[in-house]
Amino acid sequence: MTETIVELKNITKRFPGIVANDDVTLDIRKGEIFALLGENGAGKSTLMSILFGMYEPDEGQIFVRGEKVRLTSSKDAAALSIGMVHQHFKLVSNYTITENIVLGDEPLKRLGPLSWVDLKGASEKIRSLSLEYGLEVNPDDKIEDLPVSTQQRVEILKMLYRDAEILIFDEPTSVLTPQEIEYLLEIMEELRRGGKTIILISHKLEEIKQVADRCAILLHGKLVGVYDVATTTTQRMANLMVGKELDFSIDKTEHDFGEVVLDVSDLTVYNEQKVKVVDNVSLKVRQGEILAIAGVSGNGQVDIADAIAGLQNISAGSISFKGEDISRLTIKERITKGISYIPEDRQKEGLIMDLTLRDNLAIKTFDREPFSKKGILQPESFEQQAEDLIRRYDIRSGQGGQTLTRSMSGGNQQKAIIAREVELDSDLLIFVQPTRGLDVGAIANIHQQILEQRDLGKAILLVSLELDEVMALADTISVAFRGQILKTDSVHNLSKEEVGQYMMGVTQ
Amino acid sequence: MNIDKIMTDGLSFSLPLFIMAIGGIYSERSGVTMLSIEGFQGFGAFTGAITVVILRTAMGSSPNWLIYVATLASVLGGMLLALLNALMVIKLKSKMTIAGVVVNILAVALTSFLSSVITGAVTGQATNKIQLGVSPRYTIPYLSEIPVIGGLFQNIYPFAFIIIVVALLAWYVLYKTSYGLRLRAGGDNPHSLDAAGVDVNKIRFSAVVLAGGFAGLGGIAFTYMMANFSPSSYVGYGYLAIAALIFGNWNIRTTFWTSMFFGFSRSFSDQLVNELGMSSNYSDLFSVMPYVLTLIVLIFFSKHNRPPRALGEHFDKGKR
Repeated sequence: MTETIVELKNITKRFPGIVANDDVTLDIRKGEIFALLGENGAGKSTLMSILFGMYEPDEGQIFVRGEKVRLTSSKDAAALSIGMVHQHFKLVSNYTITENIVLGDEPLKRLGPLSWVDLKGASEKIRSLSLEYGLEVNPDDKIEDLPVSTQQRVEILKMLYRDAEILIFDEPTSVLTPQEIEYLLEIMEELRRGGKTIILISHKLEEIKQVADRCAILLHGKLVGVYDVATTTTQRMANLMVGKELDFSIDKTEHDFGEVVLDVSDLTVYNEQKVKVVDNVSLKVRQGEILAIAGVSGNGQVDIADAIAGLQNISAGSISFKGEDISRLTIKERITKGISYIPEDRQKEGLIMDLTLRDNLAIKTFDREPFSKKGILQPESFEQQAEDLIRRYDIRSGQGGQTLTRSMSGGNQQKAIIAREVELDSDLLIFVQPTRGLDVGAIANIHQQILEQRDLGKAILLVSLELDEVMALADTISVAFRGQILKTDSVHNLSKEEVGQYMMGVTQ
Repeated sequence: MNIDKIMTDGLSFSLPLFIMAIGGIYSERSGVTMLSIEGFQGFGAFTGAITVVILRTAMGSSPNWLIYVATLASVLGGMLLALLNALMVIKLKSKMTIAGVVVNILAVALTSFLSSVITGAVTGQATNKIQLGVSPRYTIPYLSEIPVIGGLFQNIYPFAFIIIVVALLAWYVLYKTSYGLRLRAGGDNPHSLDAAGVDVNKIRFSAVVLAGGFAGLGGIAFTYMMANFSPSSYVGYGYLAIAALIFGNWNIRTTFWTSMFFGFSRSFSDQLVNELGMSSNYSDLFSVMPYVLTLIVLIFFSKHNRPPRALGEHFDKGKR
């Protein structure tokens, strides 16, 4: 029953400036859901990449099914029936599901000297696999036409197609909506019933509590311990994970709001596909107020934020900032006027991944004094600012300002964006999903930043899919549904359940 | 107007262009930006031509089968230069566009230098203009008598047959085999290929070398059409092939039609000049026509184009 399938012994892995894994020893049993819990940058992904053959450990040994193994590529891992669903999916966008699944392990049909890929046969096999595990997909669909949740199912099918026994999931729920998360967790349980061993990398305590049998907690690359999930409270897991007692509650002092900073009226926006994504929306944000737009993903809330920041053109209505219509201004002019924007996709819109942290921090101000003088960049000022912000905002990076942004963990990338945007000292800050994919420690830090800005009298527009976050931070809540604002009211007049109902489009 | 001539010339110009474009498609679909078709073509043609000269001198005669030896040599020559290009962009990770331009410049310089040296050593007369024999041409009975399109079946170069067979094979390999599936994945998301346990750089390396072979085949065909090889043989057909594949949306089937479009517009403009009896100044103006068309076509069609997503990106395992 408790047969050990994977053993990691004294694994140490170093990267320039960082010890990602420090003497980690774990054993994983056959047929369990084993969770790896830890903050961003705690070394969870690195550890599993080692097991998947993507990195070789500097020290330590790996045993699979009792035998010592050396993994130098994902091919070695596949040979040992280890499969992995990566955080960033590895799919070919213009291929069908079938083509993606067979890639690298193609079934061939032969006729004399000719051989070709038997897509039809593979398609059938995939169809039956998908039925067996309740992973509904149509094998002939193209990846680029599919929603993220389906793409994830393709990744799972890819492992099953290769008869993987040990399935590693790297932060699988960070891209999913609440319903999709439920569905995925059910699939995992189904897989466990089918005899698979599952390793779940996550920092979401609730889902670990819900499905996992045991849970290893990593902190700064070191193993804190392995715990039985059923007998450990989430609060205790959270504390172990961040290494200090954590305060979940948010201190929010009540105060009066100042003048209206942002006044959006009758805003209508069409997206590139000419679909009306924002429909006659009006909202006001005052000094010292956090207005949160709640809503299920894809109900136009991001488009509202984009329109205000100037990333999307509007087709009707007006956006006025401190009494001035800004709806025709360029993005840069809006930044100069005093609008900070923390975008939803930090890697695509928030940062230039191949620049250093230092340059990313100055990316909105590089053309001003002191960063450039008479059109000449002043590297010392870049450096000074980077040092200053890294210290004040606790941005962890291997080589200080010179760190390549791509090599930083997601949480620290987000901290960098927030540091940059807050430093602009804007009157309006727009946060879109500021804590998406982040761990408890980083979330608390970011919530603190948002509240600080509120208390400084800034106007804050928060777009979030996390209802708990909305309820905790907002002064005023607007609920978006199909491009419209169904309800706007003070947080004191709304219960979580009521907001949830509006999010589903119920207006009584 | 001589329709037959338009057809005959159009086809004999289009097919080499098409096979060179296929080379570009192989390379670009695997993710490697390909600007050196021109260089591969020239270097291949040079290798073919010099092989003919050497064999001719050694044997003292010039049998018909030399043309096939020349073709093989040209393919290998194109692959040799492509090997260098692949080393530069895949092993040494130099910028793909820069490497492409460098290879083109190198090809011109190297072939004109080597032509003189080798012809000097072999025949005692140093020249950078290598005369080739006249290629046999074939006319298919009955088909060649069909009105309008009959010209397609008259005076066909042997290369036409070779190119058609190779092109069909290239299509089959790219779209039906596992190698092709992997190659095309390399240009869209090399990380998916890596995760599937396939060596991305090996695939790309092979695609670039194959591109050299295809370009070499196109090169020798053009050279036999002009009956000699000289450094002035580099007239931009390689770039035209790139335009054809872009216009053809990196797809072999559509690129066939775009290559035909370029080829026939050229033979048409040539005939037009002839017909109107224009002076050479004007005829030069008309020979610009295919290129002007290219420009116009690219302006209008580029926005519908979908280049391979990972085109021009070096594959680096650590990059997420």
